[in-house]
Amino acid sequence: MIRLNDIRKVYQMGKLPFEALKGIDLNIESGEFVAVMGPSGSGKSTLMNIIGCLDTASSGEYHLDDRNVAGLTFDQLSGIRNRKIGFVFQNFNLLPYATSFENVELPLLFNGKSAKQRKERVRKLLDMVGLWDWHRHRPTELSGGQQQRIAIARALVNEPPILLADEPTGNLDSNSGREIMEIFKGLWESGKTVVMVTHDNTVAGYAKRIVRLLDGRVENGNGRVAGS
Amino acid sequence: MKTHLLKLYMSELRKRRKKTALITFAIGWGALSLLLLMSFGRGISETFSASFKGLGDNILIVYGGQTSKIHQGLPKGRRIRLYPEDVDLLRSRIPEIREITPESFSRFEMRNGDRAVNRNVNGVNPCFGFMRNQIPQAGGRFVNDLDIDGSRRVVFLGWKVAEELFGDENPVGRRISLQRVPFTVIGVMKRKLQSSAYEGMDSDQVYIPFTTFLNLYSQRFVDRIHIQPEKREQSKWLEAEIRRVLGRKYRFDPKDEYANQIWNTVEGAEMSGKVFKGIEMFLAIIGGLTLLIGAVGVTNLMYAVVKERTREIGVKMALGAKRRHIVYQFLLEAMMIFVKGTMWGGLVAFNIVALVRMLPISYDVEGIAGYLLRPRFSADIFLLFITVMGILVFMSGIFPALRASRLNPVDALRYE
Repeated sequence: MIRLNDIRKVYQMGKLPFEALKGIDLNIESGEFVAVMGPSGSGKSTLMNIIGCLDTASSGEYHLDDRNVAGLTFDQLSGIRNRKIGFVFQNFNLLPYATSFENVELPLLFNGKSAKQRKERVRKLLDMVGLWDWHRHRPTELSGGQQQRIAIARALVNEPPILLADEPTGNLDSNSGREIMEIFKGLWESGKTVVMVTHDNTVAGYAKRIVRLLDGRVENGNGRVAGS
Repeated sequence: MKTHLLKLYMSELRKRRKKTALITFAIGWGALSLLLLMSFGRGISETFSASFKGLGDNILIVYGGQTSKIHQGLPKGRRIRLYPEDVDLLRSRIPEIREITPESFSRFEMRNGDRAVNRNVNGVNPCFGFMRNQIPQAGGRFVNDLDIDGSRRVVFLGWKVAEELFGDENPVGRRISLQRVPFTVIGVMKRKLQSSAYEGMDSDQVYIPFTTFLNLYSQRFVDRIHIQPEKREQSKWLEAEIRRVLGRKYRFDPKDEYANQIWNTVEGAEMSGKVFKGIEMFLAIIGGLTLLIGAVGVTNLMYAVVKERTREIGVKMALGAKRRHIVYQFLLEAMMIFVKGTMWGGLVAFNIVALVRMLPISYDVEGIAGYLLRPRFSADIFLLFITVMGILVFMSGIFPALRASRLNPVDALRYE
């Protein structure tokens, strides 16, 4: 499903080029639950951004569903992000002035679903994360855990096959974090491909495969979590 | 744009109502200035045009004069006078003349009982009335053909003369004496705006049949001949024709403008019309510049909004917003500021214009007030206004919108 071939990413830091990714080869199959781990500066976020089509690699090939992502226009990439990828962020990134319903509805607005379809989808997803009763509330009226559940509902509303999460529990207390991870686990069991960046070993424990990055390289791409 | 996006953007806009209030005020102020300046400019221009027609619409006023060129062995400095027969001569030689009338005048005492004034008495033919926009007030009439044929002693009064002699009473049918000769008043001139005149404004004149004038007073020559061409465009050509015909009769050079002076009101009206159009444009430009300042403010605000919401733009991009979704949003926001500002600016402008128009127009004061206080809106003003607004909306919104849409999603998401 996701095939990375010798992916390199070079940033210009002042006058010096800085190589954040130094040739990543990584395959993620449909239905995998992968945690990307590594110290800060190891290139985790950069890798996630490239997988999420938010950023493009300086060189190398990235095939998503056998389609070469390099050379696609901004709007084509937007379409991929909209339909194929659901993002969950560390700081939730909900629109503060919009209600839970409107936040979850947002991705549907960008691909022109009818009002009836939108309402059905949003209702279904808010029910799934158990927050339909809160659909008229704004993010500031919700707890961190609730906000992250709204964000997950938003990520899933277009039924993307891939879920990308960047430190999804980083801003949550351990109870909420556990709830969130149970949701991810359930999603993986229902067939989603989940790719998650984390520092947290407990969180990484939910994953079935751990990719460790160090200094822009894959240190151990085939690590399996004990007991799985 | 799809309505569901519109709804989203509108809800986002409402959150920033307070921040946009000042800039909305600036746009409203600009719209107000532009509308007021345009309507007042139009008012001045139209009032002027109406007042110019007060003297007469599309007429040439022909005078005698003194030759200034040697012609056929005759010296310069000869006095040229016009005579009643010249009216028939010009009419028969120049078929392009639609109407023609002589006008002679003398200054006499006129009296109603013990009220007496000294005013010009003008002898004219019936067509003089409509050539000079002298419309009788209800219940009266101007000099007619029967008056001419019978040399009747009837008189048509300018409205100021009527007031001086009769006060609030209705003068029609009453008798007054002109130089001790009794005349019957047949009508009083309706009030009109007039900006140019010779021998005083029409409101201060009285008019009697030309034949009556010739019978009563011993003046042989006529002071002026009024001519209206068939077509407005013929006025310049007609001037030359008149000098040609009269020059042959009185033996002066047809190019001698001093021998035969002609006041061409068509030319004058056109020239002044251009001047006033220029004033109108000048005022509109000032208004436009005021609005432009507001528009620059909108651009500035929009740049700040883009910056402030960089992160949100990043989130939207991550969720699949295309560039146009982002562009529309910021263009819409700029437009809404303009729409709101324009709404109240327009409202205030309308009320001011309506209030000013309620002030009674003064026909007797020839001051700037009579011209200033007639602001007017018209379709072309609105068309221009909407066009200017549209251009400014686009210009002030498009650059911030494009900047927003060109953000890199990763950088935008990371923006604090």
